[in-house]
Amino acid sequence: MEKKSNRLKAKDFITIGIFTAILFAVEFAFGMLGYIHPFIVASYVVILPLASGIPMMLFYSKVEKFGMITIVSVLLAIIMFVGGMGYLGAPLIIISGIVADLIAKSGNYKSSKKIVLSFGVFNLWICANYFPILVTADSYRQDLVDGGYSADYVNNLFAAINVKTIGILVVLAFAFGCLGAVIGKAAVKKHFAKAGIV
Amino acid sequence: MKLDPRTKLFMIFVVSLIVMMSATTPFLWAIRLSITLIPIILLILEKKYASALRFLIAYGTALILTFFFLSAESEGLIASLLIGYCGIVVQFMPALITAWYVVRTTKIGEFMSCMQKMHVPDGIAVSLAVVMRFFPTIKEEYSSINDAMRMRGVMLGGGNVLKMFEFRMIPLLFSCVNIGEELSAAAITRGLGGEVKRSSVVELKLGIADYLLLTFLTAATVIFVVFKYFL
Repeated sequence: MEKKSNRLKAKDFITIGIFTAILFAVEFAFGMLGYIHPFIVASYVVILPLASGIPMMLFYSKVEKFGMITIVSVLLAIIMFVGGMGYLGAPLIIISGIVADLIAKSGNYKSSKKIVLSFGVFNLWICANYFPILVTADSYRQDLVDGGYSADYVNNLFAAINVKTIGILVVLAFAFGCLGAVIGKAAVKKHFAKAGIV
Repeated sequence: MKLDPRTKLFMIFVVSLIVMMSATTPFLWAIRLSITLIPIILLILEKKYASALRFLIAYGTALILTFFFLSAESEGLIASLLIGYCGIVVQFMPALITAWYVVRTTKIGEFMSCMQKMHVPDGIAVSLAVVMRFFPTIKEEYSSINDAMRMRGVMLGGGNVLKMFEFRMIPLLFSCVNIGEELSAAAITRGLGGEVKRSSVVELKLGIADYLLLTFLTAATVIFVVFKYFL
């Protein structure tokens, strides 16, 4: 943030706010599906990166300054906290945001490869939300049962997300993040670059 | 009644904290319920009867269903859908009501001056204010895009999920980007992002109601934690 020409300005903050809102709206729309079946909760790592690819790629091309993704991740952490997703995941969300930011910065926010990579890392924030399921497994299970979930749901949830599968989920989140970025880039090029918005 | 934005933020914090820790005994449920009732009462005091009633009915129905008709053993499709619905409502409704109340009753100016008083970095404060303001806009834009699509006969994208998604997402992004440009133009003319420290018309001060509510919320949190984890 030290370089003067690369500092975020008021306009960028507004852009960041807007895209965070869009990202969260997408997340919320799909997140509600998770109540139908726990396997959908696990498949967020596939759905969300693909769905948020287009807006995020547009976002990457609109700001191009260091700090943009960090702020998004801080806001996401705040919203997730308010939404009752737990405080354990919040630091992880912010860390994945900072790392993603650094990767994109190393490519000067122009290099496609670095952006794809960075979005892959950014999507690890989805896994951060699984964190309470892993770390506090026993008490969390008890909490869910007491909270009115059926035993069936809870069992399936823990079958889908546990210490063994988290590795696969992380890899999936990263891989589909990269895929989402590629698709998003193509869509941005198809619609927005032509229209002169980027 | 006018509450200080800081009290409201603290209320959001407390409500989400208590909702996160599940209630296991009737006593804990009582605390949780009374915490949930606060924003509803506040909504009534603000004369927003319709939304208060809506929330009350939705929350009440879900609670009654959870306690009297559903148990950990219930099976079947309808039961699992109901559990899903009740799970969402019971888990997220309290936080949602509070957030709704805060967004509805806090002016952006108040919010910004509150953030400034708490020494939150400008970047996060501005972005957060925009997020807060932007959710209703997204909803509005989305429904008008949906209407436009329906008018042209693009009902569900011909069953193609990708098309369906693309036809809604791209126009939505277009309009959001445009609104963003207008918003930043408007904000910059009002001196956002200047070098000088911004002053505020709104003078923030904690009143009696604020202190009462703050005390009550803190007490509720402490009692909840003590009874859940230490007794």
